[in-house]
Amino acid sequence: MAIAKRVPMREQDPKIRITNFDSVPLGYSAEEAVKEAKRCIQCKVPLCETGCPVRMEIKNIIQLIADEKFEEAFFLSKKDNAVPAMTGRVCPQEDQCEGVCVLDKTGQPINIGKLFAFVADLARKKDLNEELKIKENGKKIAIVGCGPAGITCAVDLRKLGYQVTIFEALHMAGGVLQYGIPAFRLPRDVVDYELSYLEKIGVDLQLNQIVGQNIAFEELKKEYQGVYIATGAGAPRFLGCEGEKLKGVYSANEFLIRVNLMKAYKFPDWDTPIICGNSVGVIGCGNVAMDAARCAKRLGAKKVYVLYRRTKECAPARNEEIHHAEEEGILFREMIAPCKMFGNEDGWVTGMQMVKTEFKGCDKSGRPSPVYIKDSEFVIELDTVINALGTSPNRLFLSNVEGLDTHSWGGIKTDENFMTNIPGVFAGGDALTGGSTVIEAMGNGRDAAEAIDKFVTGDA
Amino acid sequence: MKHTITRKEVLNSADYLIDVVAPNVAKRFVPGNFCVLITIPEGERIPMSIQKVEGDIITLYFKKLGKTSRELDTWKVGDSIYKIIGPMGSPPPIKKYGTVVFASDLVCGHAENWAMCEILKKIPGNHIISIQSFPTEADIYPDKELCEPVADEFILATEDGSRGVKGHYLDVLQKLLEERKIDQVFAGGGIPPLQKISELTKKYNVPVYTTVRQIMVDATGMCGSCRVFIDGEQKLACIDGPMFDGHKVDWEAAISRLAMFTTKEAQAMDCLNEKMKGVK
Ligand SMILES: Cc1cc2nc3c(=O)[nH]c(=O)nc-3n(C[C@H](O)[C@H](O)[C@H](O)COP(=O)(O)OP(=O)(O)OC[C@H]3O[C@@H](n4cnc5c(N)ncnc54)[C@H](O)[C@@H]3O)c2cc1C
Ligand SMILES: Cc1cc2nc3c(=O)[nH]c(=O)nc-3n(C[C@H](O)[C@H](O)[C@H](O)COP(=O)(O)OP(=O)(O)OC[C@H]3O[C@@H](n4cnc5c(N)ncnc54)[C@H](O)[C@@H]3O)c2cc1C
Ligand code: SF4
Ligand code: SF4
Ligand code: FES
Repeated sequence: MAIAKRVPMREQDPKIRITNFDSVPLGYSAEEAVKEAKRCIQCKVPLCETGCPVRMEIKNIIQLIADEKFEEAFFLSKKDNAVPAMTGRVCPQEDQCEGVCVLDKTGQPINIGKLFAFVADLARKKDLNEELKIKENGKKIAIVGCGPAGITCAVDLRKLGYQVTIFEALHMAGGVLQYGIPAFRLPRDVVDYELSYLEKIGVDLQLNQIVGQNIAFEELKKEYQGVYIATGAGAPRFLGCEGEKLKGVYSANEFLIRVNLMKAYKFPDWDTPIICGNSVGVIGCGNVAMDAARCAKRLGAKKVYVLYRRTKECAPARNEEIHHAEEEGILFREMIAPCKMFGNEDGWVTGMQMVKTEFKGCDKSGRPSPVYIKDSEFVIELDTVINALGTSPNRLFLSNVEGLDTHSWGGIKTDENFMTNIPGVFAGGDALTGGSTVIEAMGNGRDAAEAIDKFVTGDA
Repeated sequence: MKHTITRKEVLNSADYLIDVVAPNVAKRFVPGNFCVLITIPEGERIPMSIQKVEGDIITLYFKKLGKTSRELDTWKVGDSIYKIIGPMGSPPPIKKYGTVVFASDLVCGHAENWAMCEILKKIPGNHIISIQSFPTEADIYPDKELCEPVADEFILATEDGSRGVKGHYLDVLQKLLEERKIDQVFAGGGIPPLQKISELTKKYNVPVYTTVRQIMVDATGMCGSCRVFIDGEQKLACIDGPMFDGHKVDWEAAISRLAMFTTKEAQAMDCLNEKMKGVK
């Protein structure tokens, strides 16, 4: 029997979407969702579920969608995932649930992410809320950082009856979901709605509170039975090459924080400015680089280059992001590496010296290693440079906390139960791993919640 | 938390002060810290020095410069600021230095001058000299806002000599350095004079802490906008500073980077002017 093709996702036309920050995918209609859900063959052993770090009941949810029981599908997804509309949009499904779906062999796995986003969007439009009976246990937990890891840990512990307080440094919750991932991938009404769940279930969210800076870590340790550190990995890395001082040179984080958190694309209606030139070079080829490049395009840049020392086939960015970027006219320049930046007499960047690379052997992860080709330097003219070279764990927290064991690269050390060397203090998410995915961070948060509960109840 | 404005006063034709309720900041403030203001939900995150803390109330000095500071100038006692965050930054050691000079020539520097002198004066063994310079007599702040009460010696200077000593703080300091033993200098205000004071103190082999103001966005160490180069090493003004050893600062870069958004700032001002016209 021939397997029916995936129900295609309707998207905004690339020519139009580069002029706005609205969602690129338009979302399934109910008919489309049902049709897609009906393609699922309801495997006896649903492999898809092994690919999901929070172990959503994918098979059953899909069946409910196929049966048009959308509300039940929503409640079932909410059981294991506090933010299904967001993960449905940003999970790298090809490496996770969809990557292990049996239908992946045919090249047509079930579009699990988009199905879940459909159900959660519908629930948002109807403001559906599950009935939760929380039995208070009178115990208090503090969570540092309100990104995916902190959110998940908070929700799970709250459901177990803990009084949970989240301390967040920024003036908005969400972590990377708020300041990093642009609205055209993750619309802000979706973010706001799913985050409002925290308050709905009685999590105390304290914004503008930087632990280690305006609240002492010692205070938390004293006042709470358990502490979870989920401060993420937001500290930008720079190339360390000549020209980093020039104006027009940004870290991807600065560029994205200006655009997403501070809404610089609405300047001057919003106050925070951004300067994006006509010829933008983005260094790196991960999700962050794709987001920065696509934002630059939307800010009106004529030419946006992604400058990468490997080929895009071995890039860490999701296929969907690369595909969308190409549709939007982002220019990929592969097998080249940056050497230094040049500027004019006013201190603005004017270009970059690049060197060509070739592959020689492989690194530990099995990716081919690029090496410089001698005497192959050339110059590319740019008026904006965005470094998307990855980030390191936030050091503001770490530098103000005494006695916490960390790796030399800044990641926090924990045992197999996510507990740090300080009893009762747990850690997870990017602060631990140095950077992974939203859903991995959420899985971390879930595991930590379990461990914290065991620790506090003396069950460990 | 409601950040209500409880006092607002004119300092001179361009500068004004406000007192505002911010217990979160007040409780932990140490001179050398700053705070971040978001005046309205659509606002920028604006770094601000703190002049004084009394109970739950902090005093801030503003210069009417661009969109935010001009718009805030139209606010009245009783209005509230959307968010005030902090204290931020890593202050220099608050300790016995010996004879200390704090020199300032601009709004933020004057605020820092007061705060730092006030705390250092309380430490036995410190002798505090505060220098405040203004372009001309008309620019001088009201007497009660000058640093005289928090210093052991106070020197008021005007560049044209219309009141106090004639000259910029650089001239005053140069004389002091020639005549007396100074153990530590602090300085805040305009950036080009900070470069000069760094050169000057280096000549006399006296250490100097300078407030390196840079454009900030998050002010939590996540964006790198405020990067400064200290002895060739990249630091972040928001979490490692903003006070740095002036002898090590790459001033050319600091001066250049601070001007990155001038075209956009002018555009924001034009929009504000349009809006204000509509109000009238
Ligand atoms: C631009 C960008 C795009 C991405 N795209 C994807 C994608 O498409 N799919 C995907 O799966 N993953 C993506 N990722 C990765 C993913 O977002 C992260 O792995 C994930 O957000 C990590 O979650 P976290 O909770 O550990 O940390 P974060 O999301 O970083 O949250 C940490 C929070 O802690 C706060 N904090 C830090 N220090 C303190 C302190 N001292 N006190 C209080 N609060 C503090 C921070 O302000 C922040 O809000 C992307 C990342 C970026 C930067
Ligand atoms: C640590 C620190 C302490 C400061 N203390 C004071 C103070 O006590 N009183 C005071 O009046 N000003 C202070 N400033 C400067 C203040 O942040 C700016 O004046 C303010 O942002 C101007 O906003 P605006 O919209 O009125 O003007 P704009 O037109 O936006 O800017 C005018 C000038 O202010 C500076 N500036 C603009 N945006 C920022 C930003 N996000 N971060 C830093 N500087 C910026 C630039 O030099 C710019 O050219 C301080 C800055 C720093 C970094
Ligand atoms: S949370 Fe992510 S990995 Fe899990 S089922 Fe949903 S889309 Fe797939
Ligand atoms: S593996 Fe694929 S086909 Fe099988 S149950 Fe999961 S989604 Fe359906
Ligand atoms: S303001 Fe963003 S790192 Fe300092």
